[in-house]
Amino acid sequence: MTHALELRQIRKSWGQVEVIHGIDLAIEEGEFVVFVGPSGCGKSTLLRLIAGLDDPTSGDILLKDRRVNNIPASERGLSMVFQSYALYPHMSVRSNLSFGLENVRMPKDEIDRRVNDAAKLLQIDMLLDRRPGQLSGGQRQRVAIGRAIVREPVIFLFDEPLSNLDAELRLQMRVEISNLHSQLGNTMIYVTHDQVEAMTMADRIVVLRAGRIEQVGKPLDLYNHPANRFVAGFLGAPQMNFLKGRLAQDGTLTLDCGLTRQIRPVEPLASEQSVTLGLRPESIGVSLEGQGDLTASVQNFEQLGAVTYIYTAFPNGETLTVQLGRQIPLKRGQEIGVTFDMDRVHVFAGEGERALKLDRAEP
Amino acid sequence: MFPTPIAKTSRSWQLTYQSLLPVALILWLLPLISIAVFSIKPDADFTSGNYWGWPSSFEGITNYSKVFFESDMPRYLLNSVFITVPTVLGCIALSAMTGFALGIYRFRSNLWIFFMFVAGNFVPFQILMVPVRDLTLNLGLYNTKTGLVLFHIAFQTGFCTLFMRNFIRALPFELIEAARVEGVSEWRIFWFVVLPLMKPALAALAVLIFTFIWNDYFWAVVLTQGVESQPVTAGITSFNAQYRAAYHLMSAGSIVAALPPVAMFFLMQKHFIAGLTLGAVK
Repeated sequence: MTHALELRQIRKSWGQVEVIHGIDLAIEEGEFVVFVGPSGCGKSTLLRLIAGLDDPTSGDILLKDRRVNNIPASERGLSMVFQSYALYPHMSVRSNLSFGLENVRMPKDEIDRRVNDAAKLLQIDMLLDRRPGQLSGGQRQRVAIGRAIVREPVIFLFDEPLSNLDAELRLQMRVEISNLHSQLGNTMIYVTHDQVEAMTMADRIVVLRAGRIEQVGKPLDLYNHPANRFVAGFLGAPQMNFLKGRLAQDGTLTLDCGLTRQIRPVEPLASEQSVTLGLRPESIGVSLEGQGDLTASVQNFEQLGAVTYIYTAFPNGETLTVQLGRQIPLKRGQEIGVTFDMDRVHVFAGEGERALKLDRAEP
Repeated sequence: MFPTPIAKTSRSWQLTYQSLLPVALILWLLPLISIAVFSIKPDADFTSGNYWGWPSSFEGITNYSKVFFESDMPRYLLNSVFITVPTVLGCIALSAMTGFALGIYRFRSNLWIFFMFVAGNFVPFQILMVPVRDLTLNLGLYNTKTGLVLFHIAFQTGFCTLFMRNFIRALPFELIEAARVEGVSEWRIFWFVVLPLMKPALAALAVLIFTFIWNDYFWAVVLTQGVESQPVTAGITSFNAQYRAAYHLMSAGSIVAALPPVAMFFLMQKHFIAGLTLGAVK
């Protein structure tokens, strides 16, 4: 089976330090894949390896089944959009777009057609004669994307392209890049540290940590079935709540904050062990009258109109964030009752805090 | 703000400043002023000991026309041009390329090669006098402009490389990477991306090297010895005969010889613009 891109056991070391520890990944034609992870997880390094700007220490990179390790960046047929845009400051926008094409001796009218098409698509056709210095951040970003589009690349590579934009513009460009993907249908690889960008844009998310892939999957699969505590905590805002407890062999879960519940792991436990219970803020019910599984005191709250975030604490000091899809009257220090939706809990145990498979009706 | 603007200081300090400044300025420029004044004095003023006084008569036109029409000065000036311009072009062309290679490419001995370029500047050039003279003589380049040009290029390229390499290092590296991903060959990256952005450095270096070479006296004396090859700095002494020196003509000649570097500076000035990479990143 032909993949648009395949990585086989990719490793990368800088001197003695290995930063990428053997990555295997296949990306299909037309997919929008997002590499996400905290800073220093190796996501940008991985993108640079794919682009050919750095060479892997070992492992193979295959573009359409062709090994490209020894093919320089200029001959891989990829396009890359840099975080800093990297526009040629001494050239007009038009020359910025056409420069790469002129270098491959493309006919003049074909270059003009592509430049004009890209400019129209990105709504920068009135800026073609300006210099990058005369453009706003968002316009520069568009030019950088335009420069990638005109090459009609096999794969688009985006290296945190939106992180220099302000919040409003970022939202707008996020939608535009998604639209662009559905219009062009090209394979795109997008690197970001922003889990919202990952969740909203990706066909598939690759979560990276410290040079290893933690989990690969569709955004909602990762959100609903995180493989481990890291992925669970990384995706979703506000973050998933984590509560410490112990799980007995018979499936009795005792949380330090005072709740006891029965759960059914698919694979029986060898012995009693300490576990972490994970529960998303939206999977918690609230009662102002103090009824429910437990009571917690309100430390702080944020009323956003459509949603309310309540930051509470249990008597043992553990905190719990609750997200409500409605408005309720709240006071600081108030005691409220909270109810856990046990069909949506995650239990993380053992080395690497992997998620335990639970035997239950999936929501 | 430091230093405090004069307009905001006390009245007494303002007066002190305003009276001391012109004094300092005149002291500073005194040698230049005296040369300028001498260049319009008659020959007699020197023999009569009128060094600093008012010229007894104004002979500016006579002196300068003698320099241009009755001496070898035009020839010497032309020699200077034929020595300086090729040297500047050669140094800049070579150092732009060495600077690009050392600034952009990461190879094992990069830093050592760079250090060798820099270390060349630490060699006191006086100790090279005899070997370089022998070398040019053996190559048959003694007393030729070519010999002087070749030596100057070789000797100046070290400093120029230091200058260029550091300037290229300061350019946003993503520009080069972006071009590479776009399929641009390295030679075209150098020519169409890096070179245009180096304009301020090229202009500054051109002025600097032009001034260095134009004003060089040492090597001109060591490697050349006649009107057919000597530059103006060495040629100016030809106004000295065995028993008398024509100081009024030497002064006029010096003024003429000093003008080209100044002209060069003003010519290149508009290229010293900062912020050429504005809009490249962020």
